[in-house]
Amino acid sequence: MTGLEVRDLTVAYGAHLVLAGLSLEVPPGAFVGLVGPSGCGKSTLLRCLAGLVRPSGGQVAYTGTPDGARPSVGILFQEDALLPWRTARENVALGLRIQGMPARRAAAEAGAWLRRVGLAGFEEHYPAELSGGMKKRVALAQVLAPRPRVLLMDEPFANLDAIVRHLVESDLLALAVEEGLTVLLVTHDLEEALLLSDRAAVMSAGPAARIVRVYDVPFPRPRDLMAVRAEPEFGRLLRAVWEDLRRQVARQGWGARA
Amino acid sequence: MRRPVALLLGLSLWEGASRSGWVHPSLVPPPTTVARVLAELVVGGQIWPHLRVTVAEALGGLGLGIALGAVLGLIAALLRPVAEVLEPAMALLNAVPRVILAPLFVIWLGIGVASKVALSFLLVMVMVFFAVYTGIREVDPRLVERVRTLGGGPSHLVREVYVPSVTAWFLSTLKVAVGFAFTGAVVGEFVAASRGVGYILSFAQSTYNAPLVVALILLVVAIILALFALFERLERIWLRWKPEYRPTPPRALPSGVDKAKGE
Repeated sequence: MTGLEVRDLTVAYGAHLVLAGLSLEVPPGAFVGLVGPSGCGKSTLLRCLAGLVRPSGGQVAYTGTPDGARPSVGILFQEDALLPWRTARENVALGLRIQGMPARRAAAEAGAWLRRVGLAGFEEHYPAELSGGMKKRVALAQVLAPRPRVLLMDEPFANLDAIVRHLVESDLLALAVEEGLTVLLVTHDLEEALLLSDRAAVMSAGPAARIVRVYDVPFPRPRDLMAVRAEPEFGRLLRAVWEDLRRQVARQGWGARA
Repeated sequence: MRRPVALLLGLSLWEGASRSGWVHPSLVPPPTTVARVLAELVVGGQIWPHLRVTVAEALGGLGLGIALGAVLGLIAALLRPVAEVLEPAMALLNAVPRVILAPLFVIWLGIGVASKVALSFLLVMVMVFFAVYTGIREVDPRLVERVRTLGGGPSHLVREVYVPSVTAWFLSTLKVAVGFAFTGAVVGEFVAASRGVGYILSFAQSTYNAPLVVALILLVVAIILALFALFERLERIWLRWKPEYRPTPPRALPSGVDKAKGE
């Protein structure tokens, strides 16, 4: 399994310092939730890890790969940008085709992935014919089909309604365990972070954001998300993380009275 | 049902106005006269060689215009330095009412087919260039990012993102372009030619033959409408992913679908 170590990461857009010396460890096979006030640079961190933004300092190291080589990394954003002119099956097959898999095999593999995310029977539907939750499932299958070792997610479920969101989250958790994935989930939703992760990292308010604290989330896997919610320990953790976040937002100035 | 009735009503009013002498019948010929002239043209067969020439010129200009416009649009959208040169040049060409170049083409290329194809081509090419150029530049950046993060390179981007997204723009341009193509051909013939619908039109004009003019106009419109029908068929195939072109999605098989997940 692959782990991820971020050391002293600094990202600046011109004179604007977004991240300043941010360090974070994601152990192999762990699910780490990263919470922070909006605008703190969470997305920038993720885009940096994904290689979409160049850091101005520090480094990102992968552990458990030969020579610390960059493993295959899957990325799931809030906007599920499925290709509207490709069917669910073709969308899922895309990553496999890019890797050079022959069309026929990629299509079969994509079908198997769609079954795994509960979309058997919807293979030939176009994105416009699917609901928000279904599109999110297709996007998840699309990202997981090329078998990444690390999954980076940026508010992936923010635009789903509560029930659908709960169902997709449960499935994601099961898939992450089955696939032995190392996951970093960025969210502003504390509950989501604590429900899904083994560790929750709290980020400071920007600019020049860092990690201020890391919590261990002690609930065993596999998790029943509803049961976890009911645990007193969950409430205690939620309160502690909330307190941290509140302090960060207050430090930022606006929202001090909230 | 309402539209045919309205059409019929309009035509009979026109017929009545013309026959009663309320409008001059030789200036605004009644529909029946136009229909008779049209029938003579088509059945008599004198029009076919001219029509063939005009259609060939228009389609030639359309084809060449699409090909070069699309290639230049693609290159300009992908290579910034090329865009910096091409875009202002095309914008300038776009600003010129290009039909006024017809006399120049006749001087350069003679009164044959070439000068008409050239005019048709120029009208279409500028238009297709802008459709493809803006189509590519306004591609959804999230889709580009998606293909990139899945490991796709430039060839994947072109095939999976740029071409399909430009196709939609292109098809909506195609209908206007075909009108432009015929404008180029007919106006070119109008200026100087020995054959073609524009040549007959110019003859009809000089002899004050209004029924013939109207009949020829209808003929050209009919051809353009037939091409529109063809393009609509293409839209149905190429844009089948759009909900409006896919009234009945394939039925999802209920077996194997967990009901709880049937969001």
